[in-house]
Amino acid sequence: MSSASHGTGASRRGRLRRWAAQQRAWLIAIAILIVLPHVPGLDGNFGRSLLSQMGIAAVFALSYNLLLGQTGLLSFGHAVYFGLGGYAAIHLMRAINGGLPIPMPLVPLAGAAAGLFFGMLFGAVTTRRAGVVFALISLGIGELVFAAMRILQGFSGGEEGITANRGLGPHPFGLTLGPQLQVYYVIAFWSVLSAALMAAFLRTPVGRMCNAVRDNPERAAFIGYDPVRVRFVAFSVAAMFAGLAGGLHALNYEIVAAEAVGAGRSGAVLLMAYIGGVQHFFGAVLGAITITWLQISLSDYTTAWQLYLGLFFMAAVLFAPGGLSGLLSMHRPIVRTRAFLEVLKTYAIAAVPVLIAAAGAIMLLEMNYRRATQPDAGARIKLFTLDLDTSTPWPWLAAIVLLAMGVLLFRRTRPLVERAWERAGAEARAAGASREAAR
Amino acid sequence: MSERHENARSMLQLRDLHKRFGATPIIRGVSLDIREGERHAIIGPNGAGKSTLFNLIGGLFAPSSGSIRLAGESIESLAPFEIYRRGLARSFQVTNIFPRLSVYENIRCSVLWSLGYRYSFRHDVSKLRDANERTDRVLEQIGMVARRDVRAGILTYAEQRALEIGITIAGDARVILLDEPTAGMSRAEAARAVELIRSISSGRTLVIVEHDMGVVFDLADRISVLVYGEIVATDAPARIRENPTVQAAYLGTSLHA
Repeated sequence: MSSASHGTGASRRGRLRRWAAQQRAWLIAIAILIVLPHVPGLDGNFGRSLLSQMGIAAVFALSYNLLLGQTGLLSFGHAVYFGLGGYAAIHLMRAINGGLPIPMPLVPLAGAAAGLFFGMLFGAVTTRRAGVVFALISLGIGELVFAAMRILQGFSGGEEGITANRGLGPHPFGLTLGPQLQVYYVIAFWSVLSAALMAAFLRTPVGRMCNAVRDNPERAAFIGYDPVRVRFVAFSVAAMFAGLAGGLHALNYEIVAAEAVGAGRSGAVLLMAYIGGVQHFFGAVLGAITITWLQISLSDYTTAWQLYLGLFFMAAVLFAPGGLSGLLSMHRPIVRTRAFLEVLKTYAIAAVPVLIAAAGAIMLLEMNYRRATQPDAGARIKLFTLDLDTSTPWPWLAAIVLLAMGVLLFRRTRPLVERAWERAGAEARAAGASREAAR
Repeated sequence: MSERHENARSMLQLRDLHKRFGATPIIRGVSLDIREGERHAIIGPNGAGKSTLFNLIGGLFAPSSGSIRLAGESIESLAPFEIYRRGLARSFQVTNIFPRLSVYENIRCSVLWSLGYRYSFRHDVSKLRDANERTDRVLEQIGMVARRDVRAGILTYAEQRALEIGITIAGDARVILLDEPTAGMSRAEAARAVELIRSISSGRTLVIVEHDMGVVFDLADRISVLVYGEIVATDAPARIRENPTVQAAYLGTSLHA
């Protein structure tokens, strides 16, 4: 106690070191975010814009996970708060363009305020019930707000949207927001701050009770908490951060249109949170990065990209209900075993038939999709640099053979993976037991 | 045993309590006074309405008619969390815990309200010394220190029952309702549970529903017998044993466990 209150240089350094050790993961994340836009491949306008979109998606997905993963509320209308936050931000940007002396980087706060306001407004009604009733009401409100945004042209600009100029306004510290790099750093700043605040929220009494209400609302009531009130708080906080993400969206694109509140965006954020894994806080970030990357890179290769996204989602739900973060954390106990290398080897072996099957499936999908949607383009199709004539049976046959071969071979490699896992698991258990004995 | 409570005030007062589900009456006019500081057992055959009575007192169901007073305050129209805040906590017959939280988190969530943290945004629970200390104390009391980091959902049955009691007592309620705390336990486990209940109920008012007559006669200061939604007798254990009405209700089963 006394050494702390004297605050000598040494103890201050010690405290700083302790704090740094506690926050190591955050500090590493911040360092990575600072360096990323200068990494070759990401240092162009495309790369930096991709990173900006990932940051926005990450905040949105984290806010969604406060609902789904932490409080157990499945919402089909979370984009309402994203979009309304976006509209609040874009209108503030227009006001700044008109001479209001507020720095542009603060615009996302208007999004957060709007998200919080509408979250509290709609949340007061929707959080009375959980489960299916909550999910359906959220869907209804989503449709309602989307319809309203298409009707209220003056406010929303309808489908065309409403635009503003992020460069026109005061420029504190020379921040013109002209280069994408500056926009990226503003987005990265708000993303890290939001993530830290959401993580802190989950450590508060009401945040802990979100988990308790998710697990067992009845019992939560019998330890003094009103589950409806806890859900309301979680909902409002989630809406606030969704609104902030919407504000970042407005800043990044300089346009907000009705689709920002639409069902498509609500579905996408559900996809991100789920594929990332709802059991871990940072799963949502993983999902946001993956889905954003897939959305952007897949759409470069094929017009059927949404089909693949859907298939990817189905595969995740069926085979990895814990999401990507669940898959990763599953490996934590065996990472230090010697057998882990073997597990990785068997993964590499099993990946070969998976790739073969995928190649067959993609051929079938693409040939069907193009024949169905672009009949005028003729029967010749370019795929994987191959020139295929779909009027002959050969490419079809080849695709089916590839798919069947891949599936059959995969079934042969599966036991290999399972055996390697068993060995690694046994080794990890033995190591755990000897550690226990040593204690 | 019961004499020391003879003059104590009534902590929990039921007056002419009725509960119907549709046309079926389950509780048919129960009046009962639970004295401050006593251990009161409610026994009765299956289907007598014991759990329903607990659900009425705890606020899970609203009574069809009649009144419930906790330390003089009327509580029959309050929600469970409001009744809890007035100092009454209950456990459940079917284990009712937070399955995905750790044992430690289960208990820590249960101490938050009574320590006044309510819906606080400002505190970091890991830094709340009083909450964490009380959580440690409760874990020690229920003998689960070694299991503190285990997910509650994968505990053994007996451990979940102990945790169930831990959640109930963690908040320092004045009145504790335990619904069949030893149900499904082995002899040894039940004996440990009785010791636990004895220690946690000192200084508190305890109402317990229990099938195990050994546990009941061991623990209770007074016993009420509930038969088909009515209390047929309330008395000290020794007198309950001799009561002809009670013996008729328990025809064929021995009260001399």
